[in-house]
Amino acid sequence: MQTAPPTNPLQEGLSAQRTPEPCVVVIFGATGDLTHRKLVPALYNLAHEGQLPQSFAIVGFARRPKTHDQFRAELRDAVAHSSRFQPINPAVWESLAQAIFYHQSEFGDAQGYQKLNAFLQKLDAERGTAGHRLFYLATAPTEFIGIIEQLGANGLIHSQHAPTASQRIIVEKPFGHSLSTAEELNQALAGAFDERQIFRIDHYLGKETVQNIAALRFANEIFEPLWNQKYVDHIQITVAESLGVEGRGSYYDGSGALRDMVQNHMMQLLSLVAMEPPTTLDGPAIHDEKVKVLRAIRPMTPEQVQQFTVRGQYARGSMAGQAVPAYREEKNVSPDSRTETFVALKLFIENWRWFGVPFYLRHGKRLPKGVAEIAVQFKAPPAVLFGAESTTPLQPNALVMRIQPDEGIAIRMNAKVPGNALNLQPVKMDFRYGGSFGAHSPEAYERLLHDAIIGDSTLFTRRDEVERSWQIVDAIIEGWNSAPAPFPYESGIWGPPEADKFIERDGREWRRP
Amino acid sequence: MPDTAQLQTFTAGVETAVDVAQIERQLHELWQLAAESAKDPSQRQITRACLLNFIVFCETDAESAHASEVISTLTSQHPCRAIVLLVQPDVASAELSASISAHCHLAGTGQKQVCCEQIAIHASGPGVAHLGAAVLPLLESDLPTVLWWQGDFLKRIDLFRRLVAVADRVIYDTSTWTDPQPQLGDLARRITEHPRCSFVDLSWTRLGLWRRLAAEFFDAPNCRTELARIRTVDIVHGHGPGASLRALLYGSWIAAQLNWPVAEARQKIHLSAREDRDATSVGILSIAIKTDDATFSIRKNFGESTASATVDMPNACGLPHKRAFWPEDDTSLLSQELDLGTRHTVYEKALALAVIEDVSR
Ligand SMILES: NC(=O)c1ccc[n+]([C@@H]2O[C@H](COP(=O)([O-])OP(=O)(O)OC[C@H]3O[C@@H](n4cnc5c(N)ncnc54)[C@H](OP(=O)(O)O)[C@@H]3O)[C@@H](O)[C@H]2O)c1
Repeated sequence: MQTAPPTNPLQEGLSAQRTPEPCVVVIFGATGDLTHRKLVPALYNLAHEGQLPQSFAIVGFARRPKTHDQFRAELRDAVAHSSRFQPINPAVWESLAQAIFYHQSEFGDAQGYQKLNAFLQKLDAERGTAGHRLFYLATAPTEFIGIIEQLGANGLIHSQHAPTASQRIIVEKPFGHSLSTAEELNQALAGAFDERQIFRIDHYLGKETVQNIAALRFANEIFEPLWNQKYVDHIQITVAESLGVEGRGSYYDGSGALRDMVQNHMMQLLSLVAMEPPTTLDGPAIHDEKVKVLRAIRPMTPEQVQQFTVRGQYARGSMAGQAVPAYREEKNVSPDSRTETFVALKLFIENWRWFGVPFYLRHGKRLPKGVAEIAVQFKAPPAVLFGAESTTPLQPNALVMRIQPDEGIAIRMNAKVPGNALNLQPVKMDFRYGGSFGAHSPEAYERLLHDAIIGDSTLFTRRDEVERSWQIVDAIIEGWNSAPAPFPYESGIWGPPEADKFIERDGREWRRP
Repeated sequence: MPDTAQLQTFTAGVETAVDVAQIERQLHELWQLAAESAKDPSQRQITRACLLNFIVFCETDAESAHASEVISTLTSQHPCRAIVLLVQPDVASAELSASISAHCHLAGTGQKQVCCEQIAIHASGPGVAHLGAAVLPLLESDLPTVLWWQGDFLKRIDLFRRLVAVADRVIYDTSTWTDPQPQLGDLARRITEHPRCSFVDLSWTRLGLWRRLAAEFFDAPNCRTELARIRTVDIVHGHGPGASLRALLYGSWIAAQLNWPVAEARQKIHLSAREDRDATSVGILSIAIKTDDATFSIRKNFGESTASATVDMPNACGLPHKRAFWPEDDTSLLSQELDLGTRHTVYEKALALAVIEDVSR
């Protein structure tokens, strides 16, 4: 028998993208909002870009009875509504639609999984998918563990039928509600899958951000030497939303800003800006560096929680000229809710690079605009040269990585105002990815689904990262239990005045993004 | 100093004549005016963007009009400083004249315009001698320079030498050449003369889907073993412009990637021409790669911009499937090439083999 050459010589030069292995994507919760708005449009976009495997199928799992054709018709509408490629390309849709199937069952019904297994094996024979599976848990988080256990118990993982095939699982957010619930979910996952097979979604990581931060830091020699406590005064990470809870009241009221945004997305952003250069840009090397950052953040004591955190809750106000209700007046929110919709934190990373540099994190709903950015504020230059002469005080340099909207990088520096007097003024050098590269980035879910199909976990979160960031967040929540209720703030301003005082005590101020 | 009316004309894409020596200054003043008027909130903000120098060589008015049309779309994805050269050495009167215009696209939420500039230079008769000196100072520093040569550069080799000296990439399309095949040896030599410049033929770019479909047959390790067992590669092509050269390049690509010596390549690769009445033709009509046990086929579907791939070993190396060709107009092909930016060593290898193979056939 011939041995295969280690690589395919005909692929040389044909774009570095890895060709995905055959695969069936099984979506649990396939009639839900996430599937319609994000997942299937993303799969269609991948098909449009020719990035799906040749042998491919999608099986939707939900409880309402439906024929394959009904399901396809619903998804066609969803794609027509939400794909970034408009109008829908009939040839691409038709070939994808032929690969879409519906499987009706209750999540708790073992027989439903056995039938699913038989159906998947039939698809393997018909479509050449060879036992490769990607399970996607797009359901309420309360269902996650039950589905994982059913998958294991009914022979859908490590199947006899295809012992070398890959089975992977994507778990949606929220990943747990606390350290203990996250551990429980991790335990259930570990009972059925290896860590390599588990893909925990943080859709923030699917934005171009991660690679952009890595490229900015490690592909430009001018920044890295300054990226430490010697030159950096502090770092501000802001994720502001102008929206309120928008119909998610019942979920949000049991969760709050810290769990919903800080534990996952903001901790990920923080670890990306603060991590040491990884040895490679592969998943494990990056995860190793990120988790080292999280380990270097010491969970707060209750006293530190009082000192280093501020929480707020939006009151009535107005947004874009419209009066908006207070949080406590939102549907499915308790009228005496103590859930925070705003949080500001100060964290310290106790390692050589960041010793003594505060990381200020700020997130809130119903803030003046939707924006996400990371700002590195450098120390002020010694005032000996310009301090006395200049009429305006010298502003320290800042480097801002804007994540949304209008992703880009801006640098604030001081320049002399033309004229006889030595007046300095801060000027901004602004680079926008959209302006320079055209606006054709794939959407977050597209990137993440593609990576999970090819088995690349770089843009997903690893077990140790999730658990460590829960430890940090749990300590804060515990401290809040014995603290007064969140400070109210008027909708449409940058959070409660206490948040301003909080940073002003350190002789600093929040940026106005 | 230009006025607001001139700025509007400029950003609307209308050409304004300028003195060749004043091009840079005039552009500078227009952008400065744009920056100042952006401070007025009633005006749309204008940002100038530039990621590369894009020189286009044209010999006729039609080519230069086509270049402007291509640049106008291309700049939304690849902001550049475009320098369109209309060069007519065979015209008696000496001329060296220039004009400038801008291509603007709405960006993001539609509040901002991202603009790129286009400089057109017309050189005729003895004026052509000054062309190199006119272009050099116009190149934006620190940015790559791409030269898109419309037509056959081997016929204008002196001019080509001068321009290629400043280019990092040269893009051309042999399917527009009158008789490219006998010139392959010369072409390959020119490429080796410029090791720091990357050359690509849009005819090769058009082979992208054909290459990808063939490559995908052999992704799975069990199918990859078939590569060593290939007996023949049959390539059927039409008679359209560049079709036979594309078929030759394709066959040479397979042979070069599999390290077949020339004799083996000649023996295994069979090219044949066939009547082609398909209005959507892409040159190659079908290919069949045959091993002892399997035939891997790709066929252009009649009347559709798609190709179908099939293997006659069921389930072994993928199921029959169909893929759409990328649009093959110049703008789309150039855009694909500008996305890449690496040297086309695979193309160069295929071309080198095509030269020997073609000569020895
Ligand atoms: N929606 C978003 O934009 C978004 C964004 C980020 C994260 N997420 C996360 O994604 C997950 C799904 O959210 P979603 O908004 O798509 O939820 P959803 O609209 O409520 O959909 C729930 C899905 O689960 C199915 N389902 C519920 N109980 C079932 C049962 N016992 N047996 C079988 N099927 C059952 C439903 O099927 P039937 O219709 O047949 O009942 C439906 O398909 C959640 O974890 C959420 O946190 C959502």
